[in-house]
Amino acid sequence: MNRTKKLSLTLFAFFLLPTALLAQHGHGNHTNNNALNPKEVNMEHSLFHMSANWTNHRNETLKLSDFSGNPVVIVMYYGNCVQVCPILIRDANRVFKAVDESLRKNVRVLAVTFDPQNDTIERLHAYAEEKELNIPEWHFITGNRSDIRELAMLLGVEYTKKGDGHFAHSNLVTVLDDEGKIIHRLEGLNQPVDEAAKYIETILNTNPDGRSHQNLD
Amino acid sequence: MLNKLTHIVLLTLFTGLILGVFYPLAGQNRAEIPGGSFHSVLPEVKGEPNEVELFHLDQTAVTNGQFLEFLKENPDWRRSYTPALYAENGYLKHWKSDLDYGDESLQGLPVTRVSWFAANAYCGWKSGRLPTLNEWEYAAQLMDHESAVEADQFSADLIGWYSAVDTDKTQPVASTGIENRHGVKDMFGLVMEWVEDFQPPIGEDISIDCGTMGTMKGDNSIYSYAMSIRYVTRMSFKPTSTTGMLGFRCAYNQQPEL
Repeated sequence: MNRTKKLSLTLFAFFLLPTALLAQHGHGNHTNNNALNPKEVNMEHSLFHMSANWTNHRNETLKLSDFSGNPVVIVMYYGNCVQVCPILIRDANRVFKAVDESLRKNVRVLAVTFDPQNDTIERLHAYAEEKELNIPEWHFITGNRSDIRELAMLLGVEYTKKGDGHFAHSNLVTVLDDEGKIIHRLEGLNQPVDEAAKYIETILNTNPDGRSHQNLD
Repeated sequence: MLNKLTHIVLLTLFTGLILGVFYPLAGQNRAEIPGGSFHSVLPEVKGEPNEVELFHLDQTAVTNGQFLEFLKENPDWRRSYTPALYAENGYLKHWKSDLDYGDESLQGLPVTRVSWFAANAYCGWKSGRLPTLNEWEYAAQLMDHESAVEADQFSADLIGWYSAVDTDKTQPVASTGIENRHGVKDMFGLVMEWVEDFQPPIGEDISIDCGTMGTMKGDNSIYSYAMSIRYVTRMSFKPTSTTGMLGFRCAYNQQPEL
């Protein structure tokens, strides 16, 4: 009797408990189990408040607020990541390409590296060339470590540098509206982009020329 | 007469040399933490220790006095200018005004009620950064105890402290008498501290319940239990949190950040 009870408890501990924990993991409605789930973020306030200076692959200095008036697609990646990150970049480009061609020139795409030590301006430039994305709307960007971490925190992107120099990171493409507020997020890889494109088109149809500077809040 | 002058000149040169060599190091109050490894309580890679490279760490937590210097040069981070994006309402609410912490006795106390964003910005301003979670944990466990019994007593006290960090009785930095073997003070017993990645990748479903605590990897030591409480508490913060129990200190790479 006692023995049976003990056994069933053990069974519970070994099989049911992990199942219960796994069930909790399933809360997110995306399927990339190996990647990190992005955090919830504040969607009420503009990211254009960020005062950090960034440098793009054309060696131009810029601030996020320079993009005020334009919808912005942001993706975080690093150059040494050859398996997942190219898909992330491709996803950001799928969003970009899904926007009606007549409106596309007013969209900005920022690909921000986690790895400022390895992703020098030269390497960002080579990466942009390699992906055939060295075009005016696109900015491959680096900055100092605490600014990159701050941006990730604002976007809800988690990343941790591992012992082998690679990063564990969330897979996330974020869309900001023309005031810098987060309006849409693609969580996981290779997700449908129609909704993101629709958000962007709505903004651009309301404000077709972009660049009308507004007060941040 | 000439001799005396030469003497003075030589003495001045000598003093200048000594100050020039040692002052930059002395003024910074940073400890060098040699590289090594430690076991975290998170089930990252089974059984494998986390490697930490050599880095430098502030010997004490950042004080109200030091934080005031940062605010003088960075108006964006003053209480009345900081947007809700970066900090909850409680940001520095114990201060009298933007650039005045009021009571002089606050000067040497660790600054608290600062969000992760503000702490991160402060360390960036210092040409440093927040320590990573692994760096902080690694430095914290470099303690020398007289005996295993004493180590257990220390850990038991720690659990008591984590259960009720008393924010009304905060003491000045360097007052706890707790110091690791490299001279880093008060990592326990003063305030909890922000780290760069305070919500590590695995953090999603971890909470303070027995089931979860049970799944955290540990070696069944009392310290490992105290450590689990610390991890879980840390994960419960938001980057905009501004509580009286949270302060911070900065870390620095051997080579300056790019």
